[in-house]
Amino acid sequence: MIHHPPKVMRYLLKSIISEELFDDIDGDLMEVFQDRTETLSLAKARALYAKDVLFSVRNIGLRRKLKYFNPLVMYKNYLKISFRNLLNHKVYSLINIAGLALGMAACLLIILFVQNEKNFDGFHEKKEVIYRLDEVQTFGDISQKVALSMFPMGPSMLNDFPEVVNFTRFWSRNKLLLERGDKRYYLDQTVRVDTSFFDIFDFKIIRGNPEEFFSDGFNLVLTESVAQRVFGDEDPIGEVMKFSDEEQFIVAAVIEDIPDESHLQFEALIPMTLWDSEGRQNNWGSNFVNTYLQLVPNTDVEALEAKFDDFLVKYTDEGILEAYELFLQPLSDVHLGSMDITHDYQNYKKFSESSVKIFLLLAFFVLLIASVNFMNLSTAAVANRSKEVGVRKSIGAYKGQISAQFIVQSFLLTFLALAVAIVICLVSVESLNQMIDRELSFSYFLTPTWLAIIFGTTLLIALLSGFYPALVMSNFNVISALKGESLKNRNSGFRNILVVLQYAIAIAVIIGTSVVVRQLNYMQTMDLGFNRDRVISLPMYFDTNQQYDLLKSELESQSNVLSVTATTQRLGNNLHQAGMKYRADTALIEGVSSFVQVDLNFIDVYDIQILEGRSLSEEYELDKQGNSFMVNQALAKMISQDAEEVIGTKFHFGGADTLGTIVGILEDFKYNKLTNSVEPLFINTQPNNNWSEVNVKIRGGDITSAIEEVESVWQNLFPRRPFEYKFLDEHFEELYKSEQQLVKVISILAALAIIIASLGLFGLSSFMVRQRMKEMGIRKVLGASVIQVLVILSKQISLLVLIAFVISAPLTYYLLQDWLDGYAFSVSLGVGIFILVGGLSWLSALLTVSGHSLKVALLNPVKVLKTE
Amino acid sequence: MKGIHLGEFEELVLLAVASMKTDAYAVSIKNEIEEKVDRKSNISAIHTALYRLEDKGFLDSYLGEATAKRGGKGKRLFKVTAYGYQALKEAQDKRKVFWELIPQLSIQGI
Repeated sequence: MIHHPPKVMRYLLKSIISEELFDDIDGDLMEVFQDRTETLSLAKARALYAKDVLFSVRNIGLRRKLKYFNPLVMYKNYLKISFRNLLNHKVYSLINIAGLALGMAACLLIILFVQNEKNFDGFHEKKEVIYRLDEVQTFGDISQKVALSMFPMGPSMLNDFPEVVNFTRFWSRNKLLLERGDKRYYLDQTVRVDTSFFDIFDFKIIRGNPEEFFSDGFNLVLTESVAQRVFGDEDPIGEVMKFSDEEQFIVAAVIEDIPDESHLQFEALIPMTLWDSEGRQNNWGSNFVNTYLQLVPNTDVEALEAKFDDFLVKYTDEGILEAYELFLQPLSDVHLGSMDITHDYQNYKKFSESSVKIFLLLAFFVLLIASVNFMNLSTAAVANRSKEVGVRKSIGAYKGQISAQFIVQSFLLTFLALAVAIVICLVSVESLNQMIDRELSFSYFLTPTWLAIIFGTTLLIALLSGFYPALVMSNFNVISALKGESLKNRNSGFRNILVVLQYAIAIAVIIGTSVVVRQLNYMQTMDLGFNRDRVISLPMYFDTNQQYDLLKSELESQSNVLSVTATTQRLGNNLHQAGMKYRADTALIEGVSSFVQVDLNFIDVYDIQILEGRSLSEEYELDKQGNSFMVNQALAKMISQDAEEVIGTKFHFGGADTLGTIVGILEDFKYNKLTNSVEPLFINTQPNNNWSEVNVKIRGGDITSAIEEVESVWQNLFPRRPFEYKFLDEHFEELYKSEQQLVKVISILAALAIIIASLGLFGLSSFMVRQRMKEMGIRKVLGASVIQVLVILSKQISLLVLIAFVISAPLTYYLLQDWLDGYAFSVSLGVGIFILVGGLSWLSALLTVSGHSLKVALLNPVKVLKTE
Repeated sequence: MKGIHLGEFEELVLLAVASMKTDAYAVSIKNEIEEKVDRKSNISAIHTALYRLEDKGFLDSYLGEATAKRGGKGKRLFKVTAYGYQALKEAQDKRKVFWELIPQLSIQGI
């Protein structure tokens, strides 16, 4: 007679005793129990059994060391089996590894880029305490942040605020012609700085002494490559270089070339002392220098900024607060946080922080898609290995060992993928550098922290993707495993969620990319209201300006030149603002407006439409004196609603004694970057030639010979000045460089997202279809056509894509609308693009699946069914 | 032989296994100890001792036949290894050293 001990207690025993000991101990306890039932009552025996189980708690940590158990052998076996599995399913392995590797590579490169952006200016030791002094200028309705400050601000702040330890100003002289012997060189960027420059910033000095550099005004610091260019292998220290006959400089020091990750870029430095005139020292009003302050560590920046209003009033008057507000920008923010700051000329490769965030987000998504894919494929793949698991279990594999096997396989795959990813990165980092104009180096990751992060993440992916198959397979019932029953019903829900997630992300990324690209194209091809085609601009200098009239007439006589004009500011740059006055009724009203001074034929050359009145002209003496003004519509509306009234309005600007007149109204042509809306603008000429550049409109056709003609005219007139030029439309393209880089990177990521998602679906569909082979065979036998089978097989994936679309479309719409709102001129966000992308993703999903479906649909049903 | 230590109960179990020619498994060992030295013990204590002794290399084990009484589970049968015999012998020898001293002491005392 067999009696049964309490089930609960036996279950408890199972959970107490380790797996490998349970059978022995369970048997012993059972035997003792049975023996007792012969002499004692059943209840008593059961109570004693319970007591035995409870006493067995002492054996909770007991393990049986297997004498001949060498785990190494088994791990070797796992690896071997994993490799065989990889080779047996070559396509699947390739897809799985390639997908994950692509995702990892994209993620690594993006992180590299983001780190590079965040480390901009990171080489200055005092970076924590260096701030740039910026202004908020308010003129009427327009308020803008400006990177410039006034000449006396730095020294006065050092004087007034104990928090300020040091200051340096940075005042560019732009391009300078430099003579040495009979040779001439252009220095791309020569900058005037204060004596404290090297105390605040860490640019490495190779030769010479910076102290000496500031001791006497006429000294010069060169960068290494300039010194190399001019002096070759000679020692440049103490050598004389001429900017002009009056300006001779002695080279006092040579510094290392400016690192690419510095927002300040220059080729030569000259001391500020030469320009530190009394006039400038008291010039509270003009903003033309960048001021950098070094503060006491842990200064309360907000408290310091709060004192700036009083500071401004102290040196000027109460009225200044209406137009100016000062604020401090940490050095670490200058590179990424200056997108809303204008007149920011000393900010090399400036980039927007939001773009960096978008990149990071996308990189994360791509990695997520890739990992999800990897997990998905892994789970799908193990479903076909249930027989193997069954055999392993029946010859005595423990649960833990089965789990270990799948985890090992997952490790193998992920680390293979990591290796491939690193190879991809190494190969592609150079072309990426060219595309985004950076100097990224993969060696950046060779620090313990980064290696730990990379390996840690890979480990995590391996564990996560190995975990699910391990869990499912180790819990699999031996009998059903041996029968080869698949796991289809148990985890297809989980897999479907993953597919939906992938497609939702992919759809969002594609829609986002296409809208960004459209916006960018829109801005670049938009009719700006003036014709910038085939216009080249030549920079003008003091000496060349003196011969402007001659230059103009010589150029105009060339066969390939259509017309020549000149300007003080280049279109596309944020034009400067200035105060102006106009007479309305009887009162003189003061206001602020953007302005540009141009040669009289400027409006004709650029083909800007005149709405009312006339253009500036040589015929009028007043025009030539700069007393006739043209205003744009925005300014005209400010003056009067009645356009005819505007014509003839007295208008005043600058130091001129007499009142001028408005002679014409221009269309609101878009003279700024399109992020800004068109603000009021007036145009006049200046009687003395003091142009910053000459614009030459050339005839279509032979552009090369046109440029050759312009060059020969220039060289004849100014033999000392090397010829330089730039196409205006190139300049406009550069305005959107940061956006273009954004688009390039996003497009690549979007493509990757799609490729990886498709790869995943392709792999997955082969498993999905295989599991339904018999069903399809029966359907065919019962008379289903090939088309019907295809439709049935496509139904599921269509549903998944639809769900993905429904989830991601509204979210994407909201985010994109938000982004487009940042532009004054933006494309409208139509529903069309959503439908298009949704449809295309559906089609691509169908195509991906169809390969496998078609195979099944065309298969002879006998082949599938005969094995049953 | 440094570091090898036989606990009192472990030594008893080891001796019991050594004395039983065949069929030495947890239940029979428990009964043997009860019978021969009149010492009651819980089966779990026997388990602890047996597996520790096996771990130390004093015992060797193999799976025996399964019976219905045991719920279809096989018996784990133990036998003493050569190393186990050596350990027993050594434990006995150590005690012997003191036993040989005891009679002299008692004579002097009288």
